[in-house]
Amino acid sequence: MNNIENIFMCLAAPLLIASTVTKERGRRLMIFMLTGMASCLFSSYISTFIAAAQGADVISASLEISPFVEEIMKLFPLIFYILVFEPTVTSDILDACMMTAIGFATLENVCFLMTNGSEDIIELAIRGFGTGTMHVVCASFVAFGLLHLWNRLWLRVAGTVAFLCAATTFHGIFNVLVSQTGIPMYIGFIIPVGTMVGILVLRKRLKLRGII
Amino acid sequence: MPVIESIDNIIQLVTTGFCTAFSACRLVATKRREWAILTLAGAVCFLGDLYWQLYLLFYGKTPEYSYISYIGWYAGYLFLSLLVVEIRGERKAKYNRWLFLVPAFTIGMGIFYLQWGDLIGNIISATLMGILIWVSVDALIMAKNEKKKESVFLYITILIFCFAEYAMWTASCFWQGDTFMNPYFWFDILMSSVFLALPFALKKAVKYE
Repeated sequence: MNNIENIFMCLAAPLLIASTVTKERGRRLMIFMLTGMASCLFSSYISTFIAAAQGADVISASLEISPFVEEIMKLFPLIFYILVFEPTVTSDILDACMMTAIGFATLENVCFLMTNGSEDIIELAIRGFGTGTMHVVCASFVAFGLLHLWNRLWLRVAGTVAFLCAATTFHGIFNVLVSQTGIPMYIGFIIPVGTMVGILVLRKRLKLRGII
Repeated sequence: MPVIESIDNIIQLVTTGFCTAFSACRLVATKRREWAILTLAGAVCFLGDLYWQLYLLFYGKTPEYSYISYIGWYAGYLFLSLLVVEIRGERKAKYNRWLFLVPAFTIGMGIFYLQWGDLIGNIISATLMGILIWVSVDALIMAKNEKKKESVFLYITILIFCFAEYAMWTASCFWQGDTFMNPYFWFDILMSSVFLALPFALKKAVKYE
């Protein structure tokens, strides 16, 4: 069993101290990374609670409940930032999305290391890149909804919810594949990396801002 | 693993994959927002089906809590609604009073399905389906009034999608077993066919703009 709060404290402390001495963008990045880790901590509590309330076993909780909870928990800090601080610069919102996702993936990977050990460097590297990229891809979906959708509020809300749903389903497929061993697991880790490359290529080709 | 359900899922994976790939190619060629939305609609339905099929493959049963696939399909309804709004454009005329039959229908069906399904899932399905049917029927009436015949095919295709979805939900309430005689699978094939028709319907709708 992991004491996730203790791991969170160890990782959060240096970031918290760093955020007091850095300024402006640097501080904002630190705080969002910290927020991402906090989202991971709360996701763990909420997923456990829902699983217990529904009588779900560990596999069902990990495959069917946690992707849904995790994606929603990652969105909350962004919604708070957008509604309270009303950022006008697009790159600020994008930074917030990405750093929240990176913070989330960092705590998740550390918890995995604590549970499964750190002997196999190759497998851990694949897992590290796979999980990290998966969270960044899911954050990109949501960021895309927040940044590039229509001008009217209700269309923007509907579009963002739709992208959140897409991110949740993508996350669910990743979890199903990486819960296996051998080839399905490696496919699971490769899919987010492939998707990220696809997004970058498509973005370059279409110059997205002009389209959506 | 239920074989017939897997065959049905694979057929739908192929058709949603076709819809996504075709729309993505048109998006790259035309750089139009409508194609981006249809690509996303096809992609989220594809992801929902893929999750369901992978779960069946690895665990030999359907997902017990089924949140993930349903969330993908809900996103599909939202993207289709956004597509209709995008094609329809700004609306100026008053709403037709017959449109108010749509929420009455979706709420009524939602109450009927409560005997089998959960409350939250039924509320979300009824709301999103209500929005999709509302905007599609409204756009169809507008297109007829303004004589924009080119987009009528798209709205009718989306309404067939809604009909197939409701027919599947109703058939699943009176489950006839894993056999091709089960009407559920007929309507699922109909829905799969809709994904083949959607890109052509959209192509026709945007051709004349």
